[in-house]
Amino acid sequence: MPLSVSGLGVTIEQEGGHLPILQDIDLDVAAGRIVGLVGESGSGKSVFCLASMGLLPERWRTDGTVAINGKTVTGRARRTIEEARGREAAMIFQDAGASLNPIATIGGQLVDTIRRLRDVRTGEATEIAMELLEHVGIPEPQRRFREYPFQLSGGQNQRVLIALALAGRPRLLFADEPTTALDVTVQAQILDLIGRLRDETDMGVVFVSHDLGVIANICDEIAVMYAGRIVEYGPTEAILRSAVHPYTQGLIKSMPTKRGGRLHSIGGRVPLPAERPAGCAFAPRCPRRLDKCSEDLPALLRDDAGPTLRACHNPAEPVPAAVAEPVAAREAVPRAGDALMQLTGASCDYRIGAHGSFLSGHTLFRAVDQIDLDLGEGEAVALIGESGSGKSTVAKLALGVEAPSDGTVLFDGEPVPPVGSAAHRAFARSVQLVPQSPFLATDPRMRIGDQIREPLDIHGEGRAGERRDRVRALLDTVGLPDELARRFPHEVSGGQLQRVVIARALALEPRLLICDEPTSALDVSVQGQIIELLKTLRGQRGLSLLFITHDLRIIRSLCDRVAVMHAGQIVEYADTDDVFERPHHAYTRDLLAAVPDLATRAAPAARSAELAS
Amino acid sequence: MNTGYLIQKVLRALVTLALVVTFIFIVLRVTGDPVSAMLPDDTDPAIIEQMREDWGLNQPLWKQYVDYWAGIARGDLGTSFLDGRPATAKILERIPKTLQLTITSFAFMLLVGAPAGIIAALSRNRWPDRTIMTISVSGFSLPNFFLGILLILVFSVWLRLLPSASSGDLKSMIMPVFTLGTAGAGVIARFVRSSLLEVLGKQYVRAAIARGMPLHQVVLRVALPNAAIPTITIVGFMIGTLIAGSIVTETIFSWPGVGRLLITSVTARDLAVVQAGVMMIAATMIVANLLVDLAYFVIDPRIRFGSSGERQ
Repeated sequence: MPLSVSGLGVTIEQEGGHLPILQDIDLDVAAGRIVGLVGESGSGKSVFCLASMGLLPERWRTDGTVAINGKTVTGRARRTIEEARGREAAMIFQDAGASLNPIATIGGQLVDTIRRLRDVRTGEATEIAMELLEHVGIPEPQRRFREYPFQLSGGQNQRVLIALALAGRPRLLFADEPTTALDVTVQAQILDLIGRLRDETDMGVVFVSHDLGVIANICDEIAVMYAGRIVEYGPTEAILRSAVHPYTQGLIKSMPTKRGGRLHSIGGRVPLPAERPAGCAFAPRCPRRLDKCSEDLPALLRDDAGPTLRACHNPAEPVPAAVAEPVAAREAVPRAGDALMQLTGASCDYRIGAHGSFLSGHTLFRAVDQIDLDLGEGEAVALIGESGSGKSTVAKLALGVEAPSDGTVLFDGEPVPPVGSAAHRAFARSVQLVPQSPFLATDPRMRIGDQIREPLDIHGEGRAGERRDRVRALLDTVGLPDELARRFPHEVSGGQLQRVVIARALALEPRLLICDEPTSALDVSVQGQIIELLKTLRGQRGLSLLFITHDLRIIRSLCDRVAVMHAGQIVEYADTDDVFERPHHAYTRDLLAAVPDLATRAAPAARSAELAS
Repeated sequence: MNTGYLIQKVLRALVTLALVVTFIFIVLRVTGDPVSAMLPDDTDPAIIEQMREDWGLNQPLWKQYVDYWAGIARGDLGTSFLDGRPATAKILERIPKTLQLTITSFAFMLLVGAPAGIIAALSRNRWPDRTIMTISVSGFSLPNFFLGILLILVFSVWLRLLPSASSGDLKSMIMPVFTLGTAGAGVIARFVRSSLLEVLGKQYVRAAIARGMPLHQVVLRVALPNAAIPTITIVGFMIGTLIAGSIVTETIFSWPGVGRLLITSVTARDLAVVQAGVMMIAATMIVANLLVDLAYFVIDPRIRFGSSGERQ
């Protein structure tokens, strides 16, 4: 058995007692099996991997036993786990670029690791390194061998990290959100690679992801974690078909499907370790809570009917995934006469060159190439495509951050003024941005109310008292209580903070909101709430929306039309239903197929081979 | 290879040097007539006029500026008012002594500061860390002149172990080097500690440990080279403080270097020598900073190959 964990607990020692992070985890990973750990952030998934590898900080204490390939590595001398790392068990991480030494070559890092783990000379290690690079699907391995991590794409770096993990021929692989930072099409390729390596080497894999769609695609078994415990466990099919824990059901219902569906979210948030209640930690958020739930901790027991284990006093009826919800009827918005935002033959060039040196000159890189895009009053348009396809540049053109190198960008019939010009001040009242991460878009040292009021101050709207009332009204609009105004960003949850950002964007009553991946920094359970909010705002205010997103729920439930971008061009621009049901362009089909979905649990090998070429 | 970076850095150094040279010219002209400042008030006007003519001070300003540059190109920075020897010759003969002091102090600074910082980082918040950090704070808090005098008092006056002035042998170097290098060693220890701690928290360090790399190798082969990049910046600054500090230190220990020459020349209003000395110090600073930029180029591939535009 590559991994056998029993009674694993992790606590942080601190003044005034121990803080429990992980409690009572039992989990086995057999050879050739991929076990998925899923749950919201704060559920303890990553801590589980780090604890098993002995990588936790010194202050953290581990109880119970972890055995890797039959050798117990906990409670023994440090040597045991240090010798197991790399040889018996390896680990790959979320941001592959950040997991590689930035100032050493790809080849150097590989050769170094191979020499140490396989006890071979440099010449032989170089040969093995080349083989590994080829094996994980790195094109032109000879060239990449001499290059540095910053010269490779995110997907290639993840492949290199996997090659490094394979250097010691481990029997067990911990994959901690290995595809979260990648584009969907690249994600599909990496999932494929991990699946293929599992088949070839028969290693066991622990696969951590917050995305149930990804987990469903690759894992044989699923362990659902909540607040440091496993709350439901079983074979993937069984979990998807007949999960009975209300939390698992909530996660499944929160998942996007390509057929659309009513949006679901789990209210509340994961309790912090210090505030976990007695009894079931999920009880405060649970729709099926009984009195004893908040007193009595439910044990992880075998379900009478099926092959799953669950820890719940009042399990629900199984609701099969993916067919659970009917297709939502998107309210059709008639196409208005004139376009509010109109890009005609718009291009945007960037100068690239070594450090912008005045001697070395520069070359032009065309990020956006002669696109036509129009967005009517009250209309919602989605812009999809991989990173580097030019989506963000389109948003910059629409905001006046970049001026078109060619063609025109009109708002309400007038050219969009450049940032910094006098005319841009007036334009900014009408067009606002909702950025991807609310944590980066808010000032950590400024009270939330002041941040929402700031646009009103800048544009001199009303008197002080009126501004206060406006802030209160705005908080109410986005469904937040008044008292939040006095808090600081770190005192509210991610979902609440994204509402704050939306409230701030609405302060000047804009006509167009440009939303850059507005849900991707948030937990699955709250993404639905933000989408519902935007939907309501659109209905109430006749707001026009331009989304840059991969979130199928946003596209299906909110957007009238979808523009697909590839290499700076719009390759398809059509009504949402047409794009999904009858995609014309091959690239659109690939892009949509690559989005992991509970309904498409199949090996996507052929598809990604095609994409890789 | 990003040769644009190299060319740019070299050009920038040359432009800075030209600006400094021009600035010295301006400062020496706007602070009043050097001749009347130098000579007693009751000097014969004919003599003053004669000196003005000898030094070219009766020429129009632009002509003086052109001549000044022409002189620099010939390596002629004027003659000393005290003994009539060329200013450059007076500076050059003192340079070996100053280099002996500053280079030894620089080595002392690095060889003491960097290992102390590494030990402190690896024993974070335990006693070795606390001890090293306490010593390092005291080290760079003590001004040169105070530390120098304190050392003379203890080792020369009380214990009679070390000579208080330069005598040419190695023993007379101990106190000047310690005086000049201690502050820098303290700063470098602190800086190495904090940048190493930052690097040790990076994902790639954790990933290397997860691949089974032993801790000493992780520190030596992964963490230290990465921590060296920000440390080089501070080392560049320390070269500047070394040169400034050498003026004080040489004076305290009667060290026959450029620093002491500069002090005596300023007191004697020997302008040509002061001018040449200031120029030499400026040139050293500019070259030191250029070397720092070149060191980045060698260590950091992101600068060597340019981190933008090549991603694919």
